[in-house]
Amino acid sequence: MTRPPLPPLLKTVRRGGTLSCLFLAAVAAVWTFAASGTVHADEHLFGSLRGAETLPKGHFDLYQFATFRTGKAAGVYRGFDFDTELEYGVTDKFQVGVAAINHYFHTRNVDGLDNDSRYRFGGVELSGKYRLLSPFKDVVGLAFHMESGFLINDEVGGIRQRELFFAPSLILQKNFLDDTLIFEANVGVEYAWGKKPAEEYDREFSAQGALGVSYRFAPNWFIGVEGRVRSEYPRFDLEFHEHTVIFAGPSLHYGAKRWWATASWGYQVYGNEVDEVVSNKAFAEEARNEFRLKVGFNF
Amino acid sequence: MSSWKPWVAPAALILSTSAPCFATTYLTLEQAQKLIFPNANLTPANVTLSPAQRKAIEKASDTRVRSAEVKAWRAPGGGWFIVDEVLGKHEFITYAVGLTANGAVTQIEVMEYRESYGSEVRNPKWRAQFTGKTAKATLKLDQDIENISGATLSSRHITEGVRRVLATYEAALK
Repeated sequence: MTRPPLPPLLKTVRRGGTLSCLFLAAVAAVWTFAASGTVHADEHLFGSLRGAETLPKGHFDLYQFATFRTGKAAGVYRGFDFDTELEYGVTDKFQVGVAAINHYFHTRNVDGLDNDSRYRFGGVELSGKYRLLSPFKDVVGLAFHMESGFLINDEVGGIRQRELFFAPSLILQKNFLDDTLIFEANVGVEYAWGKKPAEEYDREFSAQGALGVSYRFAPNWFIGVEGRVRSEYPRFDLEFHEHTVIFAGPSLHYGAKRWWATASWGYQVYGNEVDEVVSNKAFAEEARNEFRLKVGFNF
Repeated sequence: MSSWKPWVAPAALILSTSAPCFATTYLTLEQAQKLIFPNANLTPANVTLSPAQRKAIEKASDTRVRSAEVKAWRAPGGGWFIVDEVLGKHEFITYAVGLTANGAVTQIEVMEYRESYGSEVRNPKWRAQFTGKTAKATLKLDQDIENISGATLSSRHITEGVRRVLATYEAALK
């Protein structure tokens, strides 16, 4: 069963090169805070994993994530995701968050996508995390995470859609060596409606899991490796497998008193899909590489 | 030019809402000494632990001994003033412990705390829980020491640190 080619994209005129301003601003933000001393709670040690900690009651976190996805079977594909997220600790065990998603795409000779450079507003997401067990006190840290969102442009090519999704997940965290060696595991599912016309089918179920380990090799610094797997099933039909991908790669984290930053690289080590598979990789919705920079500030 | 706004806005928001830096040193060495042993003339009495002592301390306290050097001062009458460090989330928390001549905690003081959350460990009421504890005490979170919700890591590490200091007294200072 083969997916049809993606429908043509709406074209918007956009100058190239403007992306660099966000990265410059992010770097500037990092260096602005570099002199402010040292660290932080719901801090992300990895690019694609979340930990089981929650924000203390009454505190805020502001995150800016920038993800650069690149590499398809042919042509030039550059997809950028910019997530701006604000989280608040309702209690010491429960936090809520709201995020705005933006995308920028630059595509040349990519199968199913028009040659174009365009910005798209992705949508809005809401989240909540409830900590059941503390990674610092209990045998293992455990938290329940729920995310929901309304997305008006898809993240593959910026195609107009009206997607509503719910994504519950469980977060496990185990710390060793005085909390300097940290294992994290996330497992969850996602139910999405309204994916047409970005995809052939309106409804989609996906399952995802991720695993990572990070070590504090110097004060403030963590280095780690992580991997994640994601499978998608249109029409909520588990017998209708659309694609599965596995990404793996390193992460580097720095935490200071009022801010933190995490850089990660995920490489698609395995991919399988209904469309033609090239070199054991799935390219219809996924890219070969995912580079991510996260910067967070806590108040 | 409006096409720049979606890219610049998030970073501008971050920059405009940033918090100022915080002081990290709450007490200097002299201030901590005066708080714990007012009007006393303390004598430096640093100790280097032998491998056997380190092993004994680790066994008794169930904690890691990161350094063989014990920063200690002797108080008139046989008491001890000890400066120790435990891991915070990302940096070390420096604190001081006062002991009686019999090895009971008189007071603890947090000297340097660099983390964004968890500074509640400086709360006098929380620190007062350690007063009178000896090496025989359990010194475990949620048992004889209350946890501070939202500051669990710091609470646990300081509790373990005091347990190690008391085991150090038994093994090397007594």
